[in-house]
Amino acid sequence: MLLHLLNRAPSSSSVHQDVLRAMGEEDGLMLIEDGVFGAVSAQVQHFPGLEGRLFALREDLESRGLAGRCDARVIIVDMDGFVALTEEAQRTVSWF
Amino acid sequence: MRYALLVLGGPYSHQAAHSALRFAHAAIARGHRVGTVFFYHDGVYNAAHFAAPPQDEPHLVDAWRELQRTQGTVLQVCVAAALRRGLLDAREAERHGKSGASLESPFELTGLGQLLDIGQTHERLITFAP
Repeated sequence: MLLHLLNRAPSSSSVHQDVLRAMGEEDGLMLIEDGVFGAVSAQVQHFPGLEGRLFALREDLESRGLAGRCDARVIIVDMDGFVALTEEAQRTVSWF
Repeated sequence: MRYALLVLGGPYSHQAAHSALRFAHAAIARGHRVGTVFFYHDGVYNAAHFAAPPQDEPHLVDAWRELQRTQGTVLQVCVAAALRRGLLDAREAERHGKSGASLESPFELTGLGQLLDIGQTHERLITFAP
Protein backbone atom coordinates (compact mmCIF):
# COMPACT_ATOMS: atom_id res chain seq x y z
CA MET A 1 0.00 0.00 0.00
CA LEU A 2 1.32 3.43 -0.98
CA LEU A 3 0.46 6.78 0.51
CA HIS A 4 0.19 9.55 -2.08
CA LEU A 5 0.73 13.15 -0.99
CA LEU A 6 -0.90 15.93 -2.98
CA ASN A 7 -0.21 19.61 -2.30
CA ARG A 8 -2.08 21.18 -5.21
CA ALA A 9 -5.72 22.30 -5.28
CA PRO A 10 -7.80 20.55 -7.96
CA SER A 11 -8.88 23.98 -9.20
CA SER A 12 -5.33 25.16 -9.88
CA SER A 13 -3.65 22.02 -11.19
CA SER A 14 -4.66 18.86 -13.00
CA VAL A 15 -2.02 16.74 -11.27
CA HIS A 16 -4.76 15.14 -9.16
CA GLN A 17 -5.87 13.33 -12.33
CA ASP A 18 -2.40 11.81 -12.62
CA VAL A 19 -2.60 10.77 -8.96
CA LEU A 20 -5.94 9.03 -9.47
CA ARG A 21 -4.61 7.18 -12.53
CA ALA A 22 -1.55 6.06 -10.58
CA MET A 23 -3.32 4.97 -7.40
CA GLY A 24 -3.70 1.31 -6.55
CA GLU A 25 -6.93 -0.02 -5.08
CA GLU A 26 -5.63 0.05 -1.53
CA ASP A 27 -3.52 3.21 -1.74
CA GLY A 28 -4.31 6.22 0.39
CA LEU A 29 -4.37 9.88 -0.65
CA MET A 30 -3.28 12.56 1.80
CA LEU A 31 -4.13 16.18 0.96
CA ILE A 32 -1.66 18.67 2.39
CA GLU A 33 -0.91 22.38 1.96
CA ASP A 34 -3.08 23.78 -0.90
CA GLY A 35 -4.17 20.21 -1.60
CA VAL A 36 -6.70 20.56 1.23
CA PHE A 37 -8.84 22.78 -1.00
CA GLY A 38 -9.84 19.47 -2.60
CA ALA A 39 -11.38 18.33 0.69
CA VAL A 40 -14.22 20.85 0.76
CA SER A 41 -17.62 19.61 -0.36
CA ALA A 42 -17.63 21.65 -3.55
CA GLN A 43 -14.33 20.08 -4.69
CA VAL A 44 -14.33 16.57 -3.30
CA GLN A 45 -16.03 15.20 -6.43
CA HIS A 46 -12.57 15.33 -7.99
CA PHE A 47 -11.66 12.32 -5.85
CA PRO A 48 -14.29 9.65 -6.54
CA GLY A 49 -14.07 6.16 -5.10
CA LEU A 50 -11.64 7.02 -2.31
CA GLU A 51 -13.93 6.70 0.68
CA GLY A 52 -12.05 5.55 3.73
CA ARG A 53 -8.68 6.36 2.20
CA LEU A 54 -8.89 10.09 1.47
CA PHE A 55 -7.24 12.21 4.17
CA ALA A 56 -6.65 15.92 4.75
CA LEU A 57 -4.23 17.59 7.14
CA ARG A 58 -6.06 19.45 9.89
CA GLU A 59 -3.58 22.27 10.37
CA ASP A 60 -3.56 23.08 6.65
CA LEU A 61 -7.38 23.13 6.65
CA GLU A 62 -7.39 25.41 9.68
CA SER A 63 -4.78 27.79 8.32
CA ARG A 64 -6.96 28.27 5.24
CA GLY A 65 -10.19 28.72 7.17
CA LEU A 66 -11.60 25.46 5.82
CA ALA A 67 -11.81 23.36 9.00
CA GLY A 68 -15.61 23.55 9.14
CA ARG A 69 -16.12 23.05 5.42
CA CYS A 70 -14.37 19.74 4.95
CA ASP A 71 -16.58 17.08 3.32
CA ALA A 72 -17.74 14.22 5.57
CA ARG A 73 -16.16 11.70 3.18
CA VAL A 74 -12.70 13.08 4.00
CA ILE A 75 -10.87 11.81 7.07
CA ILE A 76 -9.20 14.71 8.88
CA VAL A 77 -5.87 13.85 10.50
CA ASP A 78 -3.40 15.94 12.47
CA MET A 79 0.37 15.86 11.96
CA ASP A 80 0.61 12.88 14.31
CA GLY A 81 -1.96 11.05 12.18
CA PHE A 82 -0.06 11.99 9.03
CA VAL A 83 3.08 10.36 10.45
CA ALA A 84 1.02 7.30 11.41
CA LEU A 85 -0.18 6.97 7.80
CA THR A 86 3.43 7.04 6.56
CA GLU A 87 4.22 4.24 9.03
CA GLU A 88 1.47 2.04 7.58
CA ALA A 89 2.36 2.70 3.95
CA GLN A 90 5.34 0.90 2.44
CA ARG A 91 6.30 4.05 0.57
CA THR A 92 5.11 7.61 0.19
CA VAL A 93 4.81 9.31 -3.20
CA SER A 94 4.63 13.11 -3.47
CA TRP A 95 2.76 14.81 -6.31
CA PHE A 96 3.20 18.49 -7.05
CA MET B 1 11.53 3.88 12.29
CA ARG B 2 14.32 5.75 10.63
CA TYR B 3 12.92 8.59 8.49
CA ALA B 4 14.53 10.78 5.87
CA LEU B 5 13.02 13.93 4.42
CA LEU B 6 13.67 15.40 0.98
CA VAL B 7 13.02 19.15 0.86
CA LEU B 8 12.66 20.68 -2.61
CA GLY B 9 11.05 24.00 -1.68
CA GLY B 10 12.85 27.17 -0.68
CA PRO B 11 12.12 28.87 2.64
CA TYR B 12 9.67 31.79 2.73
CA SER B 13 8.41 31.12 -0.81
CA HIS B 14 6.65 27.78 -0.42
CA GLN B 15 5.21 25.82 2.46
CA ALA B 16 7.44 22.80 1.85
CA ALA B 17 10.11 23.62 4.43
CA HIS B 18 7.51 24.42 7.11
CA SER B 19 5.64 21.19 6.38
CA ALA B 20 8.85 19.17 6.50
CA LEU B 21 9.91 20.67 9.82
CA ARG B 22 6.53 20.06 11.42
CA PHE B 23 6.54 16.53 10.07
CA ALA B 24 10.00 15.99 11.56
CA HIS B 25 8.86 17.17 14.99
CA ALA B 26 5.73 15.01 14.84
CA ALA B 27 7.74 11.95 13.78
CA ILE B 28 10.16 12.46 16.66
CA ALA B 29 7.25 12.86 19.06
CA ARG B 30 5.99 9.46 17.90
CA GLY B 31 9.33 7.89 18.77
CA HIS B 32 10.88 7.84 15.31
CA ARG B 33 14.33 8.97 14.32
CA VAL B 34 14.75 11.59 11.60
CA GLY B 35 18.14 10.44 10.37
CA THR B 36 18.68 12.73 7.42
CA VAL B 37 17.17 15.76 5.72
CA PHE B 38 18.32 16.20 2.13
CA PHE B 39 17.93 19.61 0.49
CA TYR B 40 17.68 19.76 -3.29
CA HIS B 41 16.52 22.22 -5.98
CA ASP B 42 15.48 25.51 -4.33
CA GLY B 43 15.36 23.59 -1.05
CA VAL B 44 19.09 24.30 -0.74
CA TYR B 45 18.23 27.85 0.35
CA ASN B 46 17.19 26.31 3.68
CA ALA B 47 20.93 26.11 4.35
CA ALA B 48 21.68 29.79 3.66
CA HIS B 49 24.09 30.77 6.43
CA PHE B 50 23.33 34.47 6.16
CA ALA B 51 19.55 34.08 6.40
CA ALA B 52 18.28 36.81 8.72
CA PRO B 53 14.47 36.80 8.83
CA PRO B 54 12.59 39.26 11.08
CA GLN B 55 12.76 38.21 14.72
CA ASP B 56 9.01 37.66 14.98
CA GLU B 57 9.01 35.11 12.17
CA PRO B 58 10.11 31.48 12.25
CA HIS B 59 13.83 31.14 11.55
CA LEU B 60 13.86 28.07 9.34
CA VAL B 61 17.63 27.82 8.98
CA ASP B 62 18.03 27.89 12.76
CA ALA B 63 15.22 25.36 13.14
CA TRP B 64 17.12 22.89 10.93
CA ARG B 65 20.29 23.52 12.93
CA GLU B 66 18.34 22.84 16.11
CA LEU B 67 17.12 19.55 14.68
CA GLN B 68 20.71 18.55 14.05
CA ARG B 69 21.81 19.66 17.51
CA THR B 70 19.06 17.94 19.48
CA GLN B 71 18.36 14.88 17.32
CA GLY B 72 21.62 14.31 15.49
CA THR B 73 19.81 14.67 12.17
CA VAL B 74 22.27 14.85 9.28
CA LEU B 75 21.61 17.89 7.05
CA GLN B 76 22.79 17.19 3.51
CA VAL B 77 22.70 19.72 0.69
CA CYS B 78 23.07 18.78 -2.97
CA VAL B 79 26.35 20.39 -4.04
CA ALA B 80 25.36 20.91 -7.67
CA ALA B 81 22.09 22.62 -6.73
CA ALA B 82 23.85 24.69 -4.05
CA LEU B 83 26.76 25.98 -6.13
CA ARG B 84 24.41 27.14 -8.86
CA ARG B 85 22.53 29.19 -6.27
CA GLY B 86 25.52 30.75 -4.55
CA LEU B 87 25.61 28.48 -1.52
CA LEU B 88 29.26 27.57 -0.96
CA ASP B 89 31.09 26.25 2.06
CA ALA B 90 34.62 27.50 2.78
CA ARG B 91 36.23 24.81 0.67
CA GLU B 92 34.07 25.44 -2.39
CA ALA B 93 34.38 29.19 -1.96
CA GLU B 94 38.14 28.91 -2.07
CA ARG B 95 38.00 26.57 -5.04
CA HIS B 96 35.86 29.06 -6.95
CA GLY B 97 37.78 32.14 -5.86
CA LYS B 98 35.00 33.60 -3.69
CA SER B 99 35.44 35.31 -0.35
CA GLY B 100 33.29 34.15 2.57
CA ALA B 101 31.22 31.01 2.98
CA SER B 102 27.44 31.12 2.58
CA LEU B 103 26.97 27.57 3.85
CA GLU B 104 28.43 26.23 7.06
CA SER B 105 28.25 23.26 9.39
CA PRO B 106 26.03 21.49 10.38
CA PHE B 107 24.88 21.65 6.76
CA GLU B 108 27.05 19.45 4.53
CA LEU B 109 27.51 19.73 0.79
CA THR B 110 27.18 16.32 -0.74
CA GLY B 111 26.52 14.62 -4.05
CA LEU B 112 23.17 13.50 -5.37
CA GLY B 113 24.38 9.91 -4.97
CA GLN B 114 23.80 10.38 -1.22
CA LEU B 115 20.09 10.63 -1.94
CA LEU B 116 20.20 7.11 -3.38
CA ASP B 117 22.01 5.91 -0.25
CA ILE B 118 19.34 7.55 1.90
CA GLY B 119 16.71 5.53 0.09
CA GLN B 120 18.58 2.37 1.08
CA THR B 121 19.49 3.26 4.65
CA HIS B 122 16.22 4.81 5.87
CA GLU B 123 12.91 3.00 6.22
CA ARG B 124 10.86 5.96 5.04
CA LEU B 125 11.66 8.83 2.67
CA ILE B 126 9.10 11.63 2.50
CA THR B 127 9.34 14.36 -0.15
CA PHE B 128 8.18 17.92 0.55
CA ALA B 129 7.93 19.83 -2.71
CA PRO B 130 7.11 23.44 -3.60
